Amino acid sequence: MSGSGASTTTETGNTFLGDVCVNVERWTRKAVHNPTAFLLEIVVATFSLVLFTAVFGDVGAVALERAGFADVEYVTYLLPAVLMQATMGSAFSSGMGLVRDLESGMFEKTVVTPMSWTAVFTGKAAAELARIVVQLLAVVGLAVAMGAGIETGAVGVVGIVAVCLLVGLLFMAVSNVVGLLARDEEVINAASMLFMFPLLFLSPAFVPMSEDIEFVAAFNPITYGVDAVRALVLGEDVLTVLSISRFGGLADTLVPAVAVLVALNLVVGAVAIRLLARASSATAA
Amino acid sequence: MADTSARRQRDDTAETRAAAADGTPSIDVEHLELTYGDGTRAVEGVTFSVPRGEFFGFLGPNGAGKTTTIKVLATLLEPTSGRVRVNGHDVTADRTAVRASIGYMAQETSVDEELTARENLAFACDAYGVARGERGERIDDLLDLVDLADVADTPAGNFSGGMKKRLDAATALVHDPELVFLDEPTTGLDPKARNRLWEYFERINERGTTVFLTTQYLEEADRLCDRLAVIRDGRIVEDGSPDELKRRVGGEVLELEIDGSSEITESAAEVVRDAATLDPAATVEAVDGAVRVTARDAGALGPDLLLALSDAGVTVTGFAVAEPTLDDVFFAIADESVDALEAHGTRPTDGDDTAGRHRTEVDA
Repeated sequence: MSGSGASTTTETGNTFLGDVCVNVERWTRKAVHNPTAFLLEIVVATFSLVLFTAVFGDVGAVALERAGFADVEYVTYLLPAVLMQATMGSAFSSGMGLVRDLESGMFEKTVVTPMSWTAVFTGKAAAELARIVVQLLAVVGLAVAMGAGIETGAVGVVGIVAVCLLVGLLFMAVSNVVGLLARDEEVINAASMLFMFPLLFLSPAFVPMSEDIEFVAAFNPITYGVDAVRALVLGEDVLTVLSISRFGGLADTLVPAVAVLVALNLVVGAVAIRLLARASSATAA
Repeated sequence: MADTSARRQRDDTAETRAAAADGTPSIDVEHLELTYGDGTRAVEGVTFSVPRGEFFGFLGPNGAGKTTTIKVLATLLEPTSGRVRVNGHDVTADRTAVRASIGYMAQETSVDEELTARENLAFACDAYGVARGERGERIDDLLDLVDLADVADTPAGNFSGGMKKRLDAATALVHDPELVFLDEPTTGLDPKARNRLWEYFERINERGTTVFLTTQYLEEADRLCDRLAVIRDGRIVEDGSPDELKRRVGGEVLELEIDGSSEITESAAEVVRDAATLDPAATVEAVDGAVRVTARDAGALGPDLLLALSDAGVTVTGFAVAEPTLDDVFFAIADESVDALEAHGTRPTDGDDTAGRHRTEVDA
């Protein structure tokens, strides 16, 4: 080997933000190449909007009137439920991507680069959140076309997206934890069903709740997501499981609901980050 | 490749130049021990070093500690004790510097099947911080090297196993690392794909890259490596060039095919034992219509033995001398110790060993 061959590219000039962007690009490219899952989530949301409105429209109107939403269209009432459903569905694909990386060896390949693992996962999460935003806007657009009204306007839509992303982050964390523990796509798939349906139906997502399940719904994160989004859609306090009146108007729903979601994110996020850190570290486990 | 050396010069940091000048080895391992969380001692006190530019082979059966060692060197596992320096950097204290200076090809093919070959390489370039201006040229260069230029924009999921391996190898080289780790890179490939990959590895080494290869294919080690270490039960039990190892383990094998029944072959073996002045380690055995002589200088004994057999009235129909192969080294080591084996003959007795070079997969 000649002298000129004895070379090493030592420290890279990569910044944290640069590394984040690299990973945003990778995961976005993957989604663009294989958009099926992404599009399917929008299709399912569309079906839900159309079918639930058609099937439950009349029953829904009665239930809404009895619950004090007499002047609310059912499609308007339903919108938060469908947004939650799309958000959760997409969030679970985060764990799937992780498991696929673990199985394909791309996880290890990424760990052995000079990029910091925090940048790697921040980038991956950012790409996934961006994907959710696009899905949410598509669903909101569709719902508005179907006659749903958003009382709080464009600012409200930003708020709606923000609340959904909080729910999205929470279930991304859940799916990553499941992925790291089970290391099996099938398990994540099953987990997504296991979380999605009970949580959506044990909340005021589709119809106002009877008092019997309100007690259970109080422990359901989706209740807070649905109520916060609904408060923004209707422009009023709709929180069912807690009665808070110190902030006034829709903030009586928004503040406690967001507080609950942030707290849950901190707890589950901490677990997910711990597990990701352990998986990325060099300890001989 | 004048522009390449210019680039390399520019990329060199002062530290690396100093390291190259004082002859710091690419890999320097002293008393490495690694114990897993469950108490398994995978590596027990391994010491070795690999000079720059060498094609170094790490040989051993499954579970011997090959992958564990390579993972420590590539910063994927922290040593339990011992000192490990790669390209002059400590693998624990200076992890990022080690990572930036090495390429790593894992045992399992690791490519993103949803991305095209070019996108896989682009991601690797980004991950290793290859300067923007150099990326396009570097990617084209590597696609040519591994012969994937024609399918550069095809998703890797559509590739054959061999193509994926080649892409995987190329992604480990985007930053022009001084040292590349190849962990059983040809396992599971057909012979043609394997041969092709070997050519690429040779080319990479000729370009000045130090190569650390683990393998259980002895033919692979023989063909590619300047030097070998054999690891068994977490310890290095042999170390040397392929030729040295072969010489150390045993001699040549002379096979004399005998015309006639097994009794005639047996008596022919007696004639050989009486006729030749064999060294004490040599063996003579009658096997399936042939007399097999294993000795340091078995080939040189040939003419004398033919004469003696002819005098005894035995018809010899064939005559072959085989050089020892790395298989012999491997089997010798698998059989506890080289010394014990030299006393019993170094050949596996499956009769399939006359070819000087053949592929043997060993599952120990």
